[in-house]
Amino acid sequence: MSFLWSRAGAIAQKEVYHVLRDPFTLTLAIGLPVFMVFVFGYAIEFNVKDIHLAIHDGDQTRTSRQVVEAFGSSGYFIVDPVSSPNQAMRHIAGDQDRAALLIPGGFQKDLFSGRSTTAQVLLDGSDNSTVGPILSYVSTIQNIASVKLGDYTPPSSEIVLKTRFLFNPELNSRWFVIPGLVVVVMAILSVLLTALTVAREWENGSMELLLSTPVEPLEIIVGKIAPYAVLGMAAVAFVYVIARTVFGIPFEGSLWVFGLGCVLFLAAYLAQGLLISVATRKQQLAMQIGIMSGLLPAQLLSGFIFPVESMPAFFRYFTMILPARWFMTIARQSFLKGTTLTEMGAAFSALSILCLILVRTASKRFKKDLEP
Amino acid sequence: MGESSLAVVVEDLSVKFGDFYAVDHITFSVKRGEIFGFLGANGAGKTTTIRVLCGLLTPTTGSVQVAGVGFETGEMAIKSKVGYMSQKFTLYNDLTVEENLSFTASLRKLSAETYRERRDFILNFISFKRPLNSFVRDLPGGIKQQVSLAASILHDPEIVFLDEPTAGVTPAARARFWALIRDLAAQGKTIFVTTHYMDEAEQCERIALMRTGRIIALDTPANLKSEVFPDQVYELDPEGRASYVQMQGIRNHSELDFFEPYGLRFHAAFKRSAEGEAFKKELSRDFKMTRISPTLEDVFIRLVEGKDR
Repeated sequence: MSFLWSRAGAIAQKEVYHVLRDPFTLTLAIGLPVFMVFVFGYAIEFNVKDIHLAIHDGDQTRTSRQVVEAFGSSGYFIVDPVSSPNQAMRHIAGDQDRAALLIPGGFQKDLFSGRSTTAQVLLDGSDNSTVGPILSYVSTIQNIASVKLGDYTPPSSEIVLKTRFLFNPELNSRWFVIPGLVVVVMAILSVLLTALTVAREWENGSMELLLSTPVEPLEIIVGKIAPYAVLGMAAVAFVYVIARTVFGIPFEGSLWVFGLGCVLFLAAYLAQGLLISVATRKQQLAMQIGIMSGLLPAQLLSGFIFPVESMPAFFRYFTMILPARWFMTIARQSFLKGTTLTEMGAAFSALSILCLILVRTASKRFKKDLEP
Repeated sequence: MGESSLAVVVEDLSVKFGDFYAVDHITFSVKRGEIFGFLGANGAGKTTTIRVLCGLLTPTTGSVQVAGVGFETGEMAIKSKVGYMSQKFTLYNDLTVEENLSFTASLRKLSAETYRERRDFILNFISFKRPLNSFVRDLPGGIKQQVSLAASILHDPEIVFLDEPTAGVTPAARARFWALIRDLAAQGKTIFVTTHYMDEAEQCERIALMRTGRIIALDTPANLKSEVFPDQVYELDPEGRASYVQMQGIRNHSELDFFEPYGLRFHAAFKRSAEGEAFKKELSRDFKMTRISPTLEDVFIRLVEGKDR
């Protein structure tokens, strides 16, 4: 074994030429991160605003009007007064309103006589992406309303719930999504591009030519992967800068800790891409498996959009073998919470173990494939 | 013949993939400075043999010595002594000529100075007149093959393996390429070449014919012809229009040793007997008969058919 940086360097340089001269790879490498940041930063809105809310006030008292007022002034709802509960139902069915608040007659009387009082909220369950946020707004506003009613001294000794959202006081979904984008963008660049690059050499037979020279397998690995490692880190830097400047997202944690997470994750995913490439030796297949095993889990199972905690038990455990899930935790906590390395011990240990396994398997398999 | 005069020594080499012998116990040697042709159908084991000789594949049994080194010293020693031009891939299309060559030079660990010297020497040798920064994809097929040859001999190897180097280029480019091969041999390089073209095989000093992993013939083209056809070979030119039935009748005639179509004509050899002579006379009524020396194609058809029977 005589590892030569000059040989690895020559392969890396050739790889850079390939990337720069292939419009498809270049688009994938530069266009996709920009596109993803744009789409997830601007187009996709997890915050629900301006919800049309039908309100039927069957009580018409000062208290009931205060409740209606609380909803109307919250900024989340556009209040649409209706004359009967039936009309409210028709509005929801006709898609004019998303939800309805029905205040029954005797609302104020019941409240002041100490009996429990109820108002009904109807939600359009056909679009369940809005139901969750609406419900949480309703309960928040309910609390605000009950506090406002407080100067009327309602005799009931009910517990007033106060909610304060920590780390992201406005519950701005961008704060939540953009740090997660680091994971998705890195997943695309590392798994997909690496899977393609080695498969391409096999497919057009140039691997044979590489191997007919006294080049060591390790030199090929290093030379092939280095450009994509640099590209991956550049993409992280890009998303980081956009997150801080354009979206004004705070970065509370340590850049070193975050950087360490990036390196571990990148190494794991580059190894995964290499493994796919060696196993398939075909660009088309490598691409598909790369998307299935790298990109989709990073988007769907990492907690990027759907929280891991609310997945069925099987998937909750399954996500543990995904580097993306652990790196997602590290990325978000570093941005928003400023969690320290020791506090994220579990995520870092898991990521390190997965990274070690993948790098070992990939380099072993690659060497075995190349040795005569 | 001393050891040093042999560039390649193969003894009892076999390569097994699972239960299948791609190369089945072959033994042969190639002299220094020789143009050695390797012929056979696809899947006969030519490329597998070459891959072993280039250090890309470990033999299952047997031993090989290439330029004095074998697998005992590690395949890297072999790799640094030989040049290889594979049939599938030649050069990176999206790189320039210069980038391709300097990439190969870096893999071969040539110093910048040696590289420039060798590059200029070889490009002059192949009379490359285009700018060095032309992209390989813009080169015509024949030039591409030549640059590819240049890349494979950049490190001045003792032996050059060319796996179907002229597949898919024009006849003129083929002739030009073979002139280069002869020049290289004249410079003392050993050339190991596979081909499907019989006219190319004729230009080799010796040829080996492979079939299902074995070498079924190995000699100079002239010796092969006289060995396989000890008797006269005739070219038969049908004067009129020969019917298919008539031809089938002739083909199966017991006095014929060999009978194969060759374009619109036929090549035939007769049994050495009175009946054979008589049949020859009989045929000379319908065909214009000329004595010829057999082509290599005749030799191979006969050898391969002989094995099939």
